[in-house]
Amino acid sequence: MFIADIRKDFYEVVANQRVVLLVAPDIDALCACKILQALFHCDQIQYTLVPVTGWQDLGTAFLEHKEQFRYFVLINCGANVDLLEMLQPDDDSIFFICDTHRPVDVVNVYNDTQIKLLIKQDDDLGVPSYDDIFRDEDEEGEDSGNESDEGSEPSGKRRRFDEVRIKPSRSKREWEARSNIGTLMLPEILNELLNFHLFSCQAAMMFFELAWVLTKDTKDMLWWAIIGLTDQWVHDKITNMKYVTDIATMQRHVSRHNHRNEDEENSLSIDCMRISFEYDLRLTLYQHWSLYESICNSCYTSCSFKLWTLNGQKKLQEFLADMGLPLKQVRQKFNSMDMSIKENLRDVIEESSNKYGMKDIRIQTFGVHFGFKNRFLASDMVHATAALLESAEKDDSETDTFIKALDALSRSNIDRLHSGIELAKKKLIAIQQTVASCICTNLILSQGPFLYCYLMEGTPDVKLFSKPMALTLLCKYLLKAFVLSTRNKRCKLLPLVIAAPKDVEKGTVIVVGIPPESETSDKKNFFGRAFEKAAESTSSRTLHDHFDTSTNNAENRFLDGKLFLKYTEREHCE
Amino acid sequence: MVSFVTARPAPQAAGTVCSAVPVGRKFLNTHTKKQTDMDPSEVEFLAEKEMVKIIPNFSLDKVFLIGGDLGPFNPGLPIDVPVWLALNLKQRQKCRIIPPEWMDVEKLEEMRDLERKEDMFTPVPSPYYMELTKLLLNHASDNIPKADEIRTLVKDIWDTRIAKLRLSADSFISQQEAYAKLDNLTLMEINTIRAFLLDTLNCMYKLRSNVQ
Repeated sequence: MFIADIRKDFYEVVANQRVVLLVAPDIDALCACKILQALFHCDQIQYTLVPVTGWQDLGTAFLEHKEQFRYFVLINCGANVDLLEMLQPDDDSIFFICDTHRPVDVVNVYNDTQIKLLIKQDDDLGVPSYDDIFRDEDEEGEDSGNESDEGSEPSGKRRRFDEVRIKPSRSKREWEARSNIGTLMLPEILNELLNFHLFSCQAAMMFFELAWVLTKDTKDMLWWAIIGLTDQWVHDKITNMKYVTDIATMQRHVSRHNHRNEDEENSLSIDCMRISFEYDLRLTLYQHWSLYESICNSCYTSCSFKLWTLNGQKKLQEFLADMGLPLKQVRQKFNSMDMSIKENLRDVIEESSNKYGMKDIRIQTFGVHFGFKNRFLASDMVHATAALLESAEKDDSETDTFIKALDALSRSNIDRLHSGIELAKKKLIAIQQTVASCICTNLILSQGPFLYCYLMEGTPDVKLFSKPMALTLLCKYLLKAFVLSTRNKRCKLLPLVIAAPKDVEKGTVIVVGIPPESETSDKKNFFGRAFEKAAESTSSRTLHDHFDTSTNNAENRFLDGKLFLKYTEREHCE
Repeated sequence: MVSFVTARPAPQAAGTVCSAVPVGRKFLNTHTKKQTDMDPSEVEFLAEKEMVKIIPNFSLDKVFLIGGDLGPFNPGLPIDVPVWLALNLKQRQKCRIIPPEWMDVEKLEEMRDLERKEDMFTPVPSPYYMELTKLLLNHASDNIPKADEIRTLVKDIWDTRIAKLRLSADSFISQQEAYAKLDNLTLMEINTIRAFLLDTLNCMYKLRSNVQ
């Protein structure tokens, strides 16, 4: 059920209890986790933090902790499956779910006792009303009088969960009845609902609002909430419209914090954190890199110039000349560029990029600075943390990388953050080179209803792409680049499926599918279902383990089946 | 400068030479090898007992601790608490710290100028001014206006006083004095020079006694 008052129904419930935090491996979840940890530290609430990378991990973690803990907080996982059925918890375990994945499973919505959703209800979730899916158990008492209904199948007949509490003897029967009901029995509404996968308002923002209601919100927490929002935008999970609306909300909080502290007489120490609204360039990491490198390795500019062609390189040189920036300056580290150039840089770049067809070179975002040296934009932090989270070090287990990425978010670990930025630079360079080589060697094949690309094992930096976030980023850049470089009009409207080797010894691959590139996309992703059906039909072993259903692990055989094509086509018919 | 009484000890009485370590400490035998140094963190720990004013945002009845009572907390009403409690509450976002009266740019500027003019040590703003500045400015700098300037001023005062202390220690040793009296020194300043001074005096004593 949806929680109405987050302070009363969530925070005060866990206030004197021990809690388990199960956190998914994405940046928004990390930020939400940080905010929640800070709140727990203030009120000395004991908690255990368990990073979970997939459904199996979630199950194992739950089994390990269910004896000792009653309260579980799930961050960015768990809303889109029937959690009670998957985990089979005892009756007194309570789950608080704060998740950006949509659609929310209807069982989670209508369960009044064990599952509490920390999600705003006015989100247009499109959850069908209770009566459409469940039939009331009161009717059953009346129905027993009607002979015609006695022999009917238990299709669609479910009990209200809170009534199960009153009559405990029936609950077991109820479980069995439900487990017999296959997916085929579900009415049409639900079928439509479950077809797509979408992201919605971020978990970090939810917890920041909790902190705000408790008046314990600090600038650190606000910054983490901003990073959570920017993560959704960088990884292309939300529409532009939603991003701008959320930025406006954040801007209100930022001005509130800024007004609170600063006025002319009592100026704040330079070490205090200052968040400011910036209408800054869309060049990734440009303040920590040289301008030239940043232009070459940012998706937007690289695709607009088509930097994998010779023509593109020439256009870039023209662009720089047009702005009057000497090559020597542009190739230097940004901090060492001449002040005279840096002053009007944004306006100069905007003017010139309009001439070259890049209308959106500037984007609304936030920047932070504390101390004299440390200035970061929100997108810098997202890239650095993502690179740390998915770094392919041999010795680090996934928990280690999770903890390192979590550490990088606090202000006292600037070194970690800088190492994250270096890793992010390598990752971006790798992505650009892979994109360039894929386009130039025509590795993208059109398989009828979709485009398809397979990264061979020997491709340089392919180890970086065995992780879901990096692979998804590569997939999106590749699709953008492909759409701009192909002449085939039909191909421009196709979705892209990409596969990369995950574990060479076991012969598994990781597969990601993204919807077609369009200006007005609502970011709904149909591939979850498609992959499931294809896996059934090709009877290859797949592991739909990731919380994001558009990614899954499979063995090599999965990709060969022609049936795979057929099912993807069916799912994609719009 | 140090004000001292010169009394040249007779060589035979060398065994009984002891130098008075200044204000607030008892006389120590310099030639006994004891651990006479305090860790700066211990001095900071002692400094945390000082009282500071806070404005809490919660309410709590009177708390009875071994060290004393801490009065009832009411949201919005200022109350005096020890620094250790103030910092803990601040980190848990349960209060706002009000800077002590002496932590003000103009007052500190006056003190700094006075310190530079005088030869003797001038009265300090607080017996733990250095530690309190560090603690409060590290944890609560958003509640203290003009924090950067205050940090610079306190550092200036500290530097001047340490310079004077070094000079007087130097003259004490070179002129082989037996007694020195220093007013207005704080524990932190004493602590910085204690180990060095006592070791030096031990060495000097050994050298003198071996010559004879």
